[in-house]
Amino acid sequence: MSPFAVLVVDDEPGMRDTLAAILEYHGYRVALAADGETAFTAVQSESFDVVVMDVKMPGRDGVSVLQDMGDPPPQVILMTAYALEDRLRAAVDAKAFAIVHKPFETGRMLSLVFDASQASR
Amino acid sequence: MADGLVEAPAVDSLGRRWPLRMMSAIILVVLGGAVVASSVVTLNVIRHQERLILQERTGEAAAVLGSAFASVQDSLQLLGSIAGSSPGNRQLFATAARSVLGPAQGLLVSTQRGASMRVIAAAGAAPAIGQAIPGAQAQLGRRALSTAGMVSGLVQQGGRRWLYFALGRGAGPGTVVWWEAPLSQAVTIEASPGSPFGYLDIAVYLSARPDPSTLIAATTKHLPPAGLQYPFRVGHDTWLLVTTSTFPLVGSLVKDTPWIILVMGGLAVALTVTIVEVQGRRRDYAAAQVHEKTASLQTAMAELQDAQAQLVRQEKLAAVGQLASTVGHELRNPLAVIMNALYLLEVAAGENDMMRRHVATAKRETSAATLIVSDLLDYSVGREPMLAPVQVADLISESLSVVPPPAGVQVAGHSDPELFVTADRDQLRQALLNLITNGYEAMPDGGALTVSAASAEGSAQITVTDTGLGMSDETCQNIFTPFFTGKARGIGLGLAVTKRVVEAHGGTITVESTPSAGSSFTITVPAAAMVSVPQ
Repeated sequence: MSPFAVLVVDDEPGMRDTLAAILEYHGYRVALAADGETAFTAVQSESFDVVVMDVKMPGRDGVSVLQDMGDPPPQVILMTAYALEDRLRAAVDAKAFAIVHKPFETGRMLSLVFDASQASR
Repeated sequence: MADGLVEAPAVDSLGRRWPLRMMSAIILVVLGGAVVASSVVTLNVIRHQERLILQERTGEAAAVLGSAFASVQDSLQLLGSIAGSSPGNRQLFATAARSVLGPAQGLLVSTQRGASMRVIAAAGAAPAIGQAIPGAQAQLGRRALSTAGMVSGLVQQGGRRWLYFALGRGAGPGTVVWWEAPLSQAVTIEASPGSPFGYLDIAVYLSARPDPSTLIAATTKHLPPAGLQYPFRVGHDTWLLVTTSTFPLVGSLVKDTPWIILVMGGLAVALTVTIVEVQGRRRDYAAAQVHEKTASLQTAMAELQDAQAQLVRQEKLAAVGQLASTVGHELRNPLAVIMNALYLLEVAAGENDMMRRHVATAKRETSAATLIVSDLLDYSVGREPMLAPVQVADLISESLSVVPPPAGVQVAGHSDPELFVTADRDQLRQALLNLITNGYEAMPDGGALTVSAASAEGSAQITVTDTGLGMSDETCQNIFTPFFTGKARGIGLGLAVTKRVVEAHGGTITVESTPSAGSSFTITVPAAAMVSVPQ
């Protein structure tokens, strides 16, 4: 069984690099994207089991990418440092696997990614 | 600004003083004018009365004089008839003449014979019988004969003056009866107080004008007296009586006039003083009102300033909240990265105890920083509570389990399981957690923390009590103010967040504390209707 593929999307290089290192350490195949547009393109061209994506990014944000994802979409874990507006929150609740508030316990993120990957297949 | 307000009434009252003074001055002038006018009128009335009295008295005096001279005329008539009854009866004439001589010096009867006039009977100092009457008297005698009545005249003879009355036809045709009296220049009439002359200075002239050469009598040496001129008739001649009063004839009225003026003046002054006093009181009343209004204005100003200060405080807090929100959000990303990095370091440390210990320290401090950021965001976001029934006993046990007590601290939680509140569970738990964490930090040397709840008049009271350091009154008063902290660590938002949450639930929070004995925080929030506990 091939390892689960995870796309990490964040405009913050530190977050991308550390999350990638942690996930790779735990056996995931990790791809990186620095903005929403790149992430959207990647999701269209490649199959990912889980997408871990920041909400607030320059250009296209995480919520927009989530809403435009095709069917069947990958399991998406959104990360945010901000409170979501109510109307966005409704949309996110409908499509996202989970929302994680920054900063988060690394262990919690790992368990969420694991749960999401199990749900993807 | 407040000084300016104090000054205002002084300027105002000063401004109102001038018209008042002008009014007072006008009133004084009017009253003074009234006093002067009334005095003038009074004096004129007095003078008029005096003049009437003087005329009356003068009339009486003239009548007395007239009657006196009329009696002279009668006497001369009588003497003439005695002398004419018998030419030889001279003794009888002399006897009768002596009885009526009085102030006269001589009485005689003369007859005109041709151009001259000769004495045919005489008494007193009169010329001897047969003597011719001298020119001036003869002329007077001829006038008496032509007018067939008594005439009078003054005759200067050397250094002496003589007063003559001559009555024609007194003793028969061509016969004149004479009455002669010597007059000094200043004949003084002695008047008794009861007589009409008693109150008069008078001068009597034997002419129709006050000619000093015809003055025959006066009661004063200061001649001629200027005064009332009263003509009267003596025989065929018009005499003149000039009178003045020797003292004010109107008497008490005249004498009291100064008092009347004084009293009127006094009344005017009293009236003026009263008016000024009334104006003064009105001014004082107005000033008092101005002071009162100023005071209330100052109170309003103070309230306004308090409100403004409150607004500024709130605005500052809002600005600080905005800053906190921004900083908090910006810190969340680096904190998340640090947490990830620390996880990787921990993995890399393997069995290296020293590295694991340092990584653990870094993780603990990062967690503390995360809590601070959460406080900042909790305070600055302050969202509306999403209400639902919350079982208080469950909330308490959950809160106590989230933050385990430090070593040496005993924890107890009590609540009626049927006590429910309508609350945003997450918010109320955050409020409770802040109180519990504070209680732990207040007991560095251990102690007991109790969280209890009870229902009270439609409310639920949740009390968190510790046996820690306690707080001073001043600290208690500021404990809920944002960014106030009595702790070495922390930014002073925990209790501010708690208070905001409680108040957003329509509740209150109070604190009681005794230094070195501990503190007790009580949250009171509306209780929910009884909800059956799920089995």
